[in-house]
Amino acid sequence: MKLIIDGKAFNAYPGDSILDVARREGIAIPTLCYHEAFGGQGSCRLCTVEVTAGGRSRLVASCTYPVSEGIEVKTSTPAVEKIRRNIIMVLYKRASGSVLMQKLYREYGCSENSLGEKQEERCIVCRLCVLACEKMGTSAISTVMRGIDKRVGTPYDQAATACIGCAACAHICPTGAIEVLDSGNIRTIWNKNFNLINCERCGQPFATREEIDYVSRRSGIEDAELCFCEECRRKKLVGKMQGFSPC
Amino acid sequence: MTTMNKSLIHLLLVCCGTGCVANGAREVYQALKDNLTSDDKAVLAATTSARATGCHGLCAQGPFVRILPEDITYCRVKAADIPEIVEKTLKQGEVVKRLLFRDRQKKALVQGQNDIPFYRRQTRVALRNVGLIDPSSLQDYLERGGYRALEKSLLDMRPEQVIEEIIKSGLRGRGGGGFPAGLKWKACAATPAQPRYIICNGDEGDPGAFMDESIMEGDPHSVLEGMIIAAYAVGASTGFIYVRDEYAQSVASLQKAIEEAENHGFLGENILGSGLDFDIEIVRGGGAFVCGEETALIASIEGHVGEPWDKYVFPSEKGLWGQPTIINNVETWANIPVIMERGASWFTSLGTEGSKGTKVFSLVGKVANTGLVEVPMGTTLREIIFDIGGGVPQGRKFKAVQTGGPSGGCIPAELLDLKLDFDSLSQAGSMMGSGGLIVMDDRTCMVEVARYYLSFLAGESCGKCVPCREGIKCLLEILTRICHGQGEIEDLELMEDIAETMQQASLCALGRTASNPVLSTLRYFREEYLEHIEGQRCPAGICRELSEFWIDPAICTGCGLCLPRCPVEGIKGEKKQAHRIESDKCICCGECIDSCSFQAIKVK
Repeated sequence: MKLIIDGKAFNAYPGDSILDVARREGIAIPTLCYHEAFGGQGSCRLCTVEVTAGGRSRLVASCTYPVSEGIEVKTSTPAVEKIRRNIIMVLYKRASGSVLMQKLYREYGCSENSLGEKQEERCIVCRLCVLACEKMGTSAISTVMRGIDKRVGTPYDQAATACIGCAACAHICPTGAIEVLDSGNIRTIWNKNFNLINCERCGQPFATREEIDYVSRRSGIEDAELCFCEECRRKKLVGKMQGFSPC
Repeated sequence: MTTMNKSLIHLLLVCCGTGCVANGAREVYQALKDNLTSDDKAVLAATTSARATGCHGLCAQGPFVRILPEDITYCRVKAADIPEIVEKTLKQGEVVKRLLFRDRQKKALVQGQNDIPFYRRQTRVALRNVGLIDPSSLQDYLERGGYRALEKSLLDMRPEQVIEEIIKSGLRGRGGGGFPAGLKWKACAATPAQPRYIICNGDEGDPGAFMDESIMEGDPHSVLEGMIIAAYAVGASTGFIYVRDEYAQSVASLQKAIEEAENHGFLGENILGSGLDFDIEIVRGGGAFVCGEETALIASIEGHVGEPWDKYVFPSEKGLWGQPTIINNVETWANIPVIMERGASWFTSLGTEGSKGTKVFSLVGKVANTGLVEVPMGTTLREIIFDIGGGVPQGRKFKAVQTGGPSGGCIPAELLDLKLDFDSLSQAGSMMGSGGLIVMDDRTCMVEVARYYLSFLAGESCGKCVPCREGIKCLLEILTRICHGQGEIEDLELMEDIAETMQQASLCALGRTASNPVLSTLRYFREEYLEHIEGQRCPAGICRELSEFWIDPAICTGCGLCLPRCPVEGIKGEKKQAHRIESDKCICCGECIDSCSFQAIKVK
């Protein structure tokens, strides 16, 4: 399939979204809720672009819009830029405590206005954390409530039985809104305390007991094989590979 | 007129719609049955039949007992009135005058339903059987010509001919969007994937709207028949009816109808010997307004959170479980059998150029005859509100009518001659929606109305996409400030700016229309916003911080009606002398204004 983005022709595979093609071809379209691991959600709408198909132009979310033969995409028009600026403006008002949002607010030149700001808030409800938790197979967190009160949480905000303390949610969060507190051998996340176990090689605490057990159960790899921190696992692997020569 | 068994002398139709049931209709019906059977000579029981029917429509006057063939309609009937009705009307042929409808404009009593102005101007197509049949009786539906359209479609027509007929009829979806139903069906039939699904959207959620409820309760077979015809047309084997959870009576009525249809070969395997297999299942919604949005409804049936997704590929190609799916609203389904039976050309003879047929409106708010009204598309607002609805009560002035539910808009008095259809309403900055009409009088503050609708949407948006979730939050924040007298003139432009982004960039129709209440009131009632911001005054006397009441001594007769109504004892004055309001005590609740028969109490 062929399509035109900003005046240039590109090829697309069946099932590609506009954003898929743009990323592959190095064309910048801003996103907040997109991650390669999960595909488009269509929720932040920052990736809005203008598409002309069958003689009709419309504004669409590029992360969910499926490419069809001959469509023409404009990634930056006055209408698109205005939408992006307004999205950043209203989202900044919700999460004024986020450094990323502060930076974007300045970059997009949002004008000062009378709307209140939530300085203590950093979460932009992009839901990447929820998707990461789902991908882990744990689904300990989800969005809760609806409408303007929508947020991310564990069931009834209690310590979730399903949570293994892996902190994948915190790692993927673009605004650092999820707190993970590692103090000595105790990790606190989502109102739940975990015991951290130490790396067999360097002795540093690196993962929760629950995470190692969970990964071992899911992957079939023995517990002992998993008890190394990322750094040491890499070094171990390098040691093994020194016996091989490149062909 | 409904058919009557020849041995019967009287047929009594008791309205048992939800509104009337709340007002004691079930007790009325029971009393009627008791009185008929207690007749010692058993003459009445043999010659009279009582039927619990669906909604009669004029809810303001219910419960109704309508007596056929004479067509005597009794209003506001209580169980205690039944012995008199039986004795006088059924036995002696006399009319009980005190129970007749009182036409206030003509100052006369009206006997027949069709003589009541509210009914006279209506054209009942979707509601053709509602109020006439016992919804739990398949026999009643068959007597009214039910399932004839199904027979015709299945046995005499090919599926593509059925689709062609629906396309020719120009029927547009009655749920809000107004998408041509036939085109949806065609797209579904043209998608090769199997299985295919049929869905009935009965998640009616607009405040004040109850037309779908009335059809599901009062004529459930018409919905089933429409769905079965579509199943044949597009080759679907399973159907779902998604009903909002609060509609217990609708669920019961539909469930009974499905069982009856299965028992008589209208549902199940090899329907009417045509080879079509089709089943229908009821799914109860969880009470989320957003699930009226097609894709959120599909997600809900699939067992997910009711959140919509981008419809760049329509559900007719990729819907429920990724399969081709037709979703139509209850009223749309109820129209299908009539179109198939009477033909597309009959249907197109009703309505306007772009909107064919009729539309059911639920007429509520500050209007005398609240209830359900079905009129041809193109009927003016004035006809509906004044001729059918009987105008604004208590001598107050009409100010605006809100159409299309929470995401609709407010239309001012200048546009009362607007011919209602899908396109004219969109052009006026509102929408058809599911057909809600909320009438507002001069005691309505338009800023507060916008704030109310935004607060409704703040709780009912799914909260998935940023423009809708954060946009609503910002608009609500600004509107609340204006209502409290803390608005700034720049706020108006800021609201328009945010509203535009919501319209252009939101994920679903809820978000794209959520700013309509703000934009339409800004368009038609901008002055009122300016009064709030610059004049620090709410002209309707609703926003308490911005209101002050006074009594015009030239008008006040000193009747004293307002005195006991004031909760803070803030009105003083001797009998037959002009009263006055002590402004330091007044909490601006408006009780006195509503109680004054002379409109002597004014807003400063």
